[in-house]
Amino acid sequence: MSLSMRNLRQSRLRTALTTLGVSIGIASLAGMVSLGVGLQEQVVGRFMQSGVFDTLTVTSRSLLGGLGDFGGRGGGRGGPFGGRGRGGEAGSAQSAPKLDDEAIKQIGALEHVREVYPETRLAVEVRFGDFVQTVTASGVPMSLKDEGPFQTFSYGEFFPTDSAGLCMLSLDMSKRIDEKNPGGLIGKSLTISYAAAIGGDTPANPQLGFQIQRRDTPCQIVGIVERETGPSLPLGGSSVSGVMMPLSVARSIDKEIVTNAQSLLRDPQQTKSYTSLTVKVDKAKSAQDVQDQIRKLGHSVFSVNDALRGAKNAFIVLDIFLSLIGSIALAVSSLGIVNTMVMSILERTREIGIMKAIGASNTDVRRIFLIEASVIGLLGGLMGIALGWLVGQIINFGANVYIRNQGGTTGTLFSLPWWLIAGAILFSIVVSLVAGSYPASRAARLDPIQALRHD
Amino acid sequence: MTALLETQNLARHYKMGDTIVRALDGVSITLSDGEFLALLGTSGSGKSTLLNLIAGLDRPTAGTLRIDGKDLATMSPEELTRHRRTNVGIIFQSFNLVSTMTALDNVMLSMMFAEVPKPQREQRAAKLLESMGLGGRQRHKPKELSGGEQQRVAISRALANKPRILLADEPTGNLDSRTSREIMELLKSLNERDGKAIVLVTHDAALAKQYAHRTVTLMDGAVQTESVP
Repeated sequence: MSLSMRNLRQSRLRTALTTLGVSIGIASLAGMVSLGVGLQEQVVGRFMQSGVFDTLTVTSRSLLGGLGDFGGRGGGRGGPFGGRGRGGEAGSAQSAPKLDDEAIKQIGALEHVREVYPETRLAVEVRFGDFVQTVTASGVPMSLKDEGPFQTFSYGEFFPTDSAGLCMLSLDMSKRIDEKNPGGLIGKSLTISYAAAIGGDTPANPQLGFQIQRRDTPCQIVGIVERETGPSLPLGGSSVSGVMMPLSVARSIDKEIVTNAQSLLRDPQQTKSYTSLTVKVDKAKSAQDVQDQIRKLGHSVFSVNDALRGAKNAFIVLDIFLSLIGSIALAVSSLGIVNTMVMSILERTREIGIMKAIGASNTDVRRIFLIEASVIGLLGGLMGIALGWLVGQIINFGANVYIRNQGGTTGTLFSLPWWLIAGAILFSIVVSLVAGSYPASRAARLDPIQALRHD
Repeated sequence: MTALLETQNLARHYKMGDTIVRALDGVSITLSDGEFLALLGTSGSGKSTLLNLIAGLDRPTAGTLRIDGKDLATMSPEELTRHRRTNVGIIFQSFNLVSTMTALDNVMLSMMFAEVPKPQREQRAAKLLESMGLGGRQRHKPKELSGGEQQRVAISRALANKPRILLADEPTGNLDSRTSREIMELLKSLNERDGKAIVLVTHDAALAKQYAHRTVTLMDGAVQTESVP
């Protein structure tokens, strides 16, 4: 060991140049992989952040979705919906299980399922002083605290309790109300208005008429959240809408709200079914499992995993491609190692002869050269990582300046996770050992008598 | 005295193109424990080839070469390495010190291959150099030492693993007459005081006669004359 180190110190310039060669090879390899990982994180990471890998969206098999109950009531009316094809679908909707409270109970009982809640999106009128606008209000389950878009708040905080009279706004919504000082809305109250159907839906007397009444509920603004900038998917509770209420509040409004004539014609005997359900599983790994089980129950399931599977495969191909480019540089630098070591052996032939004459075994000689090679590999790997990191940072910086000028969201293009650092250094050592093995065994096989005659 | 080393019809042939060079052709000699033997001969007589065979640096083509009854010809490479490490210590005409190492490191090198722990290595190397009168020159590189000093470092290195036989290949060939005498006196005292068996290869008949107990003269790869002690 000390012998090898001494040899390396002896021919400092050559060692330095070889090490630099290796480090450039490793830097380009690590840089390329780092770019691949970085790009992947840019795309996949946004989904990861919003914590949607443990989220499934369940919809009814019926294409009519939430209107399934309507089709169920008047199957014969399939015709007016547009020809035979539609009619057939309406028919199949009848056999498909509905997404009602019963379904929620069923899915909730499945293994690995943490939570099931229906998506509730309501069209309501929002009033704040002079400001009047119809917006989408959604129900947000309390479990989404600190998850997805609710990890960071522009102003304020998540619902402290799920009591009525509290709401959150999206940042753009709050800006629509108060362009200059959206944060000043925190703690203030706005009024949510909607049309409610009263009476008529009492099971005892279904034929009784009902009354439509305007309902005004005041609510206090507790938090303002930014909408996700990334691609947004129709994922139940994790997406941000203009106004957000605790899920339980939204559901109770949902029971009486009248949005269109069809909802008035709903058979009160029938339980309400939902457009979609959001299912949270205990861990992302069991998502596929739960997905299959829900499918068996007869519902349609969608998860981000499905959408990302293709993207992931594409990234694997990209990674391989980038690694190949990086490997070329590394291959060249490993030839540099071979060259350096062969030169070193030629220079030190006599020394090898001496060492053998005074009792060094072939294994000893080989070990000396292999240690030299692996030290070059280790140094090269460390330097390569540093170099790759530096170049990556510079490109990152440059790219982000450009992106900012273009008005995009900045991000990390190059990502250097610890496994890449460890892997690159290990790989560098392995490559150096492989490159050094031929010169080392050549040195080990030297005939001591001839080596001693060598000048 | 028992035979420490014994060769029988020892031969070493080289192929050079189409001709076979018989560097050594049927040599039978013995070396007793504590003996000072000189191998005398002109260049090309085969004396260095014989020394290389004894040193375990080369393998014989035919015949036997026994050390303590063990035939070097049939040894595995590992056994041969162990033989080089522990049975013999070798010094050369051109000293063959590692130029980039200090005197101390050079002496320690042979013990390193014998896997002597570092503190002992350092201690023994320092003691050896001290006994050679090089106490103050341990940290010097070979270039900073005179020829005689370099050879004394080489002798220290050869003795480091306490070998049975000290092999000296023209040890005074590169030295002036005064230094030559000093080195020869040193070898003589190692032989007389420590009882170390020595094989000296030289072309200098006077030197051989003056210091060795017995002289074997080689010519064309065979024993020509053998002096009686």
